[in-house]
Parts: sequence; C-alpha cells; structure tokens
Amino acid sequence: MNERRQTTSYENQALHAPEDENGGSGAIGENPLAVKFENVSFSYGEEEKEALHRVSLEVKQGEFVAILGHNGSGKSTLARLINGLLTPTEGKIAVLGMDAGDKKNLFEIRKNAGIVFQNPDNQTVASIVEDDVAFGPENIGVPREEIGGRIDFALNAVGMQPYRRAETARLSGGQKQRVAIAGVLALMPKIMILDESTAMLDPKGRREVTETVKRLNRENGITVISITHFPEEAAQADRAIVLNRGEVALQGTPDEVLKSEEQLLTFNLTLPRCVKICRELRGKGMNVPDALRAEEIAEEILNNPAKRPFEKSAENMFAAINGADERKNNEFAVECADLYFSYDGGEEHALNGVNLNIKKGDFFGIIGHTGSGKSTFARHLNALEKLPTAQKKYKPKKEKKRKKQAGAADTAVAPHTVLNVNGYDLSDKNTDFFALRSSVGMVFQYPEYQLFAETVFADVAFGLKNFSKTPLSEAETARAVKEALEKVGLSYEEVKDKSPFELSGGQKRRVAIAGVIVTKPKILVLDEPAAGLDPLGKEEIAALLKRVHEDWCETVIVVSHDMDEIAELCNRAAVFSEGKAVFCDSPERLFTQHAEELLKLGLDIPETAKIQRELRSRGVNVQSDLTLKGFVNAAAQAMGYGESRETGGPEE
Amino acid sequence: MKVTFGRYMPKNSFADKCDPRGKLLLLIAYIAAVFTAKNFLALAVVAAVLLVCAAASKTSIAQVLRSVKGVLFLLLFTVIVNLFFYKQGDVILHWGFIRITRQGVFATLFLGARLILLVCGSSLLTLTTSPVSLTDGLESLLTPLKWVRFPVHELALIMSIALRFIPILSDETSRIMSAQKARGADFETGGLIRRVKAVIPVLIPLLISAFRRADELGDAMDARCYSGSKVRTKYKKLRFTARDLAVLFTGAVMIAGVVLFRIYFAWNV
Repeated sequence: MNERRQTTSYENQALHAPEDENGGSGAIGENPLAVKFENVSFSYGEEEKEALHRVSLEVKQGEFVAILGHNGSGKSTLARLINGLLTPTEGKIAVLGMDAGDKKNLFEIRKNAGIVFQNPDNQTVASIVEDDVAFGPENIGVPREEIGGRIDFALNAVGMQPYRRAETARLSGGQKQRVAIAGVLALMPKIMILDESTAMLDPKGRREVTETVKRLNRENGITVISITHFPEEAAQADRAIVLNRGEVALQGTPDEVLKSEEQLLTFNLTLPRCVKICRELRGKGMNVPDALRAEEIAEEILNNPAKRPFEKSAENMFAAINGADERKNNEFAVECADLYFSYDGGEEHALNGVNLNIKKGDFFGIIGHTGSGKSTFARHLNALEKLPTAQKKYKPKKEKKRKKQAGAADTAVAPHTVLNVNGYDLSDKNTDFFALRSSVGMVFQYPEYQLFAETVFADVAFGLKNFSKTPLSEAETARAVKEALEKVGLSYEEVKDKSPFELSGGQKRRVAIAGVIVTKPKILVLDEPAAGLDPLGKEEIAALLKRVHEDWCETVIVVSHDMDEIAELCNRAAVFSEGKAVFCDSPERLFTQHAEELLKLGLDIPETAKIQRELRSRGVNVQSDLTLKGFVNAAAQAMGYGESRETGGPEE
Repeated sequence: MKVTFGRYMPKNSFADKCDPRGKLLLLIAYIAAVFTAKNFLALAVVAAVLLVCAAASKTSIAQVLRSVKGVLFLLLFTVIVNLFFYKQGDVILHWGFIRITRQGVFATLFLGARLILLVCGSSLLTLTTSPVSLTDGLESLLTPLKWVRFPVHELALIMSIALRFIPILSDETSRIMSAQKARGADFETGGLIRRVKAVIPVLIPLLISAFRRADELGDAMDARCYSGSKVRTKYKKLRFTARDLAVLFTGAVMIAGVVLFRIYFAWNV
C-alpha cells in the first residue's frame, strides 16, 4: 500500500514545476528547462586547459538526450557540473530553473538530478541492496515510515525487488548497476544522468540497463541525459549532442548525428558499424541509404533491382566455406580436455569440463556472458590457476582417498584432464611454469590498472627483465622496449620517460599491452582488451592486435563481448556457457548456424550476421565470412552488383 | 573470495534477527570473560557459549574456525615466542639457548586457546551481522559520546565502508598479483629484501586503485545528497526484544561462571 501511495505522489511531483522555495534565483516561467547551460566554461586548475569551453545547451523536461564524444572531450565534466559536484569557472547553469552556482540550491539540485556512475562497485555504499537504496532517502531526511515505500518503488522500477535483501557483492554487473539506478530513483529525481553507466557491462547487462532507463523515461517522464560510447544506445535517444575538445560540436536527432561521417571523424568518433556497412554497399553501386538497424539495411538492399537470379542452395555455399577453413596445420597451441575448476574448492564449478583445442596460428575468440568461465579458462592458460595434479603438494594416493570419501559426484579432479599449452603439460607438477609464462603472454582486463613503475620505459621493461635468463645489456633492453612501444603505436622517444599515469586512458592501455608483448610470447591471451575505450580507441586496439598477430605472436586468443570485433579479427571462436565451451567454430558458422542459441544465451551476434539473417528470412542467401568487407562483397555479388565497379559508373 | 573474517553471510537464523547492540554487548562480555578466565575449565565455559552462539546462528564450527586461518601466522608467532620465553617451572627440554618448561607448554596452550576463542567470537559476530546493522548498533551504543562532540556517525560510516571494501580490495590484490606473475614477477622465492621488493609492483597499483575508488565513492555519496548527520533519518530502527534479553542473559551467565571458576578453583595455570 505504501508503494501505491508513493507512486502517485511521485507522478504528482513530476507534473508540477518545482516551486522556488529555497530562494534560488533563475526560475523561468511555469515549466523550466531540465538543464540549461549558458556559456559555461570549466577547468580543473588555473594552469590546466579548459575541460569545457563556452558550452551552451538546453535539455527539456522529459527528454532523452545522448551525449557523445571521445575520451577527454569533457562529457564527464558536463555531468558533474549539472549535479553540482563541480562548479563552473565561468557561465551559468540552471537545473530545473535553479541556479547551480548558488550553494543554497545544491541540495535541491542533487535531489532532483541523480547520477549513475561507471563502476558499479564504487558507488554502492552498503552491502545489502535495500540498505544501499535507502542511503539517499536517509540523507535527505525522509521519515522512516516512508523509506520502505520508496525502496519498493525504486526496486520495482528497475526489476530488482526479488533481490531486496541480497548482498550487493553477489550480484552481476548489470544487476549492480540497476541497484545503483534504484539508489538514485529513491530520491525521486526528475533528471537522471548516466555517466558511461554501461561501459563495464557485458551485452546482457547493458541491455538490462538501457531497457530500464528507456522505460523510466517513457513511463515515469524522467529526463535522461546519457553519456555513452555505444552508438546503439545513442540511437535510442530523442536527441544526440557531440562534444569535442570541450565544445558542443554537433547536435541533432541520433539519425542525423550518427550518420554524418565527415563530422564524426573530425571529432575523433567513428561511424556506427551499420552505417559503415551502408557506405560500403553504396560503394558497390547499390542504393542503400544510411540506416542504424539490420532490418532496415536488409530491406534497403532488397529494394535494389536484382541484376542476377538469387543463389538458391545454401548447402553448396556452406561446403565452400568448410573447405576453405580446414587448413593443413594440425599443431595445437592449446589442447584442453575435461578441465574442471572451482574457486577455493567450493561446490560451484567455474569450469565444468572444458573441451577445447586451439590451433597454432589461430586468431581465436572466446565469447560468453560474465560468469560463463571464460576468464577462468584464460587464467589456466598461464598457470595462474594450477590443476590439482600440478600443485607442489599433490600426492596421487591422498587425492584418491579424498575422492573416495567425497563420492562420485566430486569431479573437480577428473583423472583424464588434459591441458597442454604451447607444448607444456600443465597437469604435470614438474613442468617449468616459469618458462611457460614467458611463452604465454597474458593481458588482463583493464591492464592499465596494473601499471606501477615511475616511467613507461621501466614498466615495459619489467617483464623483460624478469624473464631473461641472463641479465640484458641496456642497449638490448632499450631496443626491445622501443620495438614493443612502436608495435602498439606509441612513439618511443615521446613516452619512454613519462610517468605512465600522465598518459591518456587509451595510451595507458597500450603501454600495458606493450609490457606483455615485449617478450614476444608465442601465445598472447587478452581478456577484453578494448573494454571501456571510446570507439576510436577500440579501433586502435583491433589494428594493434592484427599487427601483433601478423609478425610477433603466433597465436592470439582474445576474450571479448564485442561480436563485431570477433567477426572482424578471428578465424575461430568458442562460446562459453556455464563453465563449458558449448560451441567452437569459425565465426561464419558460429554466427549463422548457432545464432538462435547465442541469442538465447543472452549474447549478441555481429551486425553483418544480423543483416544476413534478415536477408535469408526474405529468401536471399548471402554466404560469406562476416567481416565488413567480405560480407559487403558477397551481398553485392548476390544481387549482381559490384563486379563492374572499376569500369562503369555505379548505375547502368 | 578468500577472506571469511569480516564477511556477512545472511542465514536468517536466530542470531541474524538479534539486535546488534545486544550482540555487541555480548561480544564485549565474551572478550572480558576470555581475559578473566584463569584456567581451562573457565575457557570451556566460554567455548560452550561460543558453541551455543554458533548453533543459534546456523554457522558450522568449521566455518567459524576458518576465520582463524587469516591470522594463523600472527597466532603461531605469538604462541612460539611465548613458549621460548617462558622461564619458570620444570625444564623438559634444554637445547642451546632454548629452554622449554612444562608450565610454559601449559601457558602457551592456554594463550593459544584464548586467542582462537577471541578470533572466533569476533568473526561469529561479523558473520551474523550485516556491516550496516553492526555500525548502527555501534553508533547507538556510542550515542553518549555525541554529547562531547565526538563524530560518532562519521566513525560508524567509515567503519561500514571499510568493511564493505575488504573483499573488493582483496580481490583486486589477487588480480594485480596474477597480472604481475604473468609478467614474470616472483613472490615466492628469495630473501626478505627481494620479497619486499617484489611487493612494490602490487602495492603501488593497489594504492592508486584504492584512492581512485575512494574518489569515486565520495562523488557518488555527494551525488546522493550525503551531508553528514544533520538531517539524516534511519530506515532501520533497532528494536530490543525478548530475544535480545536472552542474549544479554547468556552474557551475564558466562561472566558469572568464569568469575566463579576464578574464585573457587585455585589450580590456575
């Protein structure tokens, strides 16, 4: 009953303009703008460059605005200015008609404009869900009897009511972020700011959060200002604003903004993948206007007059792909059979019998949602988790006895477990694990958080010094470090003496990768190497990995949530679910033949595969690899376009 | 997650539902009893109380004992030092400068038992009490200090946040250690100086990350209107019930028992 009363009073609140009862100045008329910036500038220190420069913008109540921009464009500063966490050095900000520069309004503004931050762990105050949601209402002095109703309202709105008494630490990333949203909602705000709130989530968590936010905007009339790197998210907004070097560079509907290539490129952003596909298709002489959704693109492709009959039989094409993929190489970089593992010897198995072989020379992708065991598997490749038989204290007899006692259900130490990595037997305790590690490079998630040395040079040289058997001369070290830094696209002279901490986010990431590849490992394992970067940063990482695979590391294994990246880079990929590798195939077949299962697992498929599906459902079979170029070529060919590109014009 | 000490495991047991103030007072009585106890019989009374509490909180003895693992090194160190430096009594082993006496062995066992009981008791409290209610209880018990302008609320909040971040930072430590291990760092071999040096690549990123987290958490709290205790209300009200009287009664019985043993049995260790 509390809940009902709360909801109604909340709706009433949303309908009426706030009264200017706190003596704040600047109320404009009956229904003030949600946010109004007038020539706002901000810098973090007198010496520093301005983070925002004379920004003017308006957000109406009930609007859903996406803010885009490269790293360091001033997006986060903007969010913090609205909420009064920062105060502008120049200019005026009005939030719901209240002057944000006036300290007296601060409380009222924060009550009405909540922020959801990027890292779910760092914005949770309490360890139990309901206590955390209660934190805001407690702070603003809501009477005890009403707080329960507010928690009900907020948790129901984000669909987390069943987890009311759960521990926050045990929730998934998407759930944690929804609790964070509930924590803000419990303050009954009119504006919600999302500061890259989905950057650290997997596709499933991202979907949970975006859907929740969209619903809050539509159904509860909450103004949403969403700062994001994901074009799919920006596409859902009413309006998109692009920031570049602290200035508003571009404004318009997401359609207008996301399709203007020349402009996006100058602002260090990239076109969404769908738009890129449309452009490529036009290059083949087809008439495909820019679109942001796979269905639209498929529709547009078919609106072109077919210049030749459609390919009917799918089997032939599959056979062709199958043949192309079977290379002669039968040497394995990783051989793994019946791999079981549970943390701390607990009941829950993180790995539940993994069977997976990875060939030498593969660019191998591993996909799966959070908790599917893919990161745990990656840790095994570097012997960071050792098999029971490889542990120093392992005694075969004792183990048998223990197993007998535990009964047949205990499969954690299956006797037939095989794990060979680069020729090293990881189930044998006499294996030289140090040598193994020097031949298997491992880049963890957010590797820049592991940088520690005073200079970039020292940090990159760390692994080199550890692994070299004889001390290296300074010249040798310098040469290796230089090569590694250049391989990741950084200028040796420019960065070597800098502290790693004064570099930008993307640069730090690349320094960290350089610190791993500096020993030229045969196998390179990366756990979500592009997570949290802006689109341009992601492209740089992809290009870097291609270079490394071509001439440094024979086998590259990349764990990723980004299906487009997998389709573009990998020649094989495995899908993990519940501690097992459930599918392992070439991306072409994985994303076509197992598309249904992947979607059911809450995973995504690449845009190219989506268009391909749409085309097939309309009777056109386009069989190709799923890289952008490969797919566009095949699609154009299927329709009879593209062959005469060099000689004739785009249209006959 | 390897740390069991300081972790709350909700079990919906009798102990979970108790008022944190009662539990805190019981813990204080428990600690006092451990220190008052002069012989094993008295410690047995305390241990019996611990068993009853474990049963009331549906926690297995094994789980309670696991918390000792975290301080095992400290425990062994204290015990061994005590064993070597206990001088009085009949010598049962004399080798070089090492002299171990029979009374020394007894005293050492007694000390060990005491320490284990202490750790188990405190960890049982954190296992059955969420950090929030623990700090609520502490805040409530310390209310008198507010009159002398002692920042009781702030202290309680700092404590609950610290408790919440223990598992996060411990996970982070193992993550950074793994990353540096993969880059060839060696934490297991070498002399003291080498080992201390090996810790630097872990400590620095960990500190930086802790500061970054603190910064972000501060912003997040500000953004949710935190402004100290001025207008703050509390969602959860502490209620003292019959259940909590039973808790206090247990504490009183235990103290009485230990004191009686102390007075009426002369064969102290």
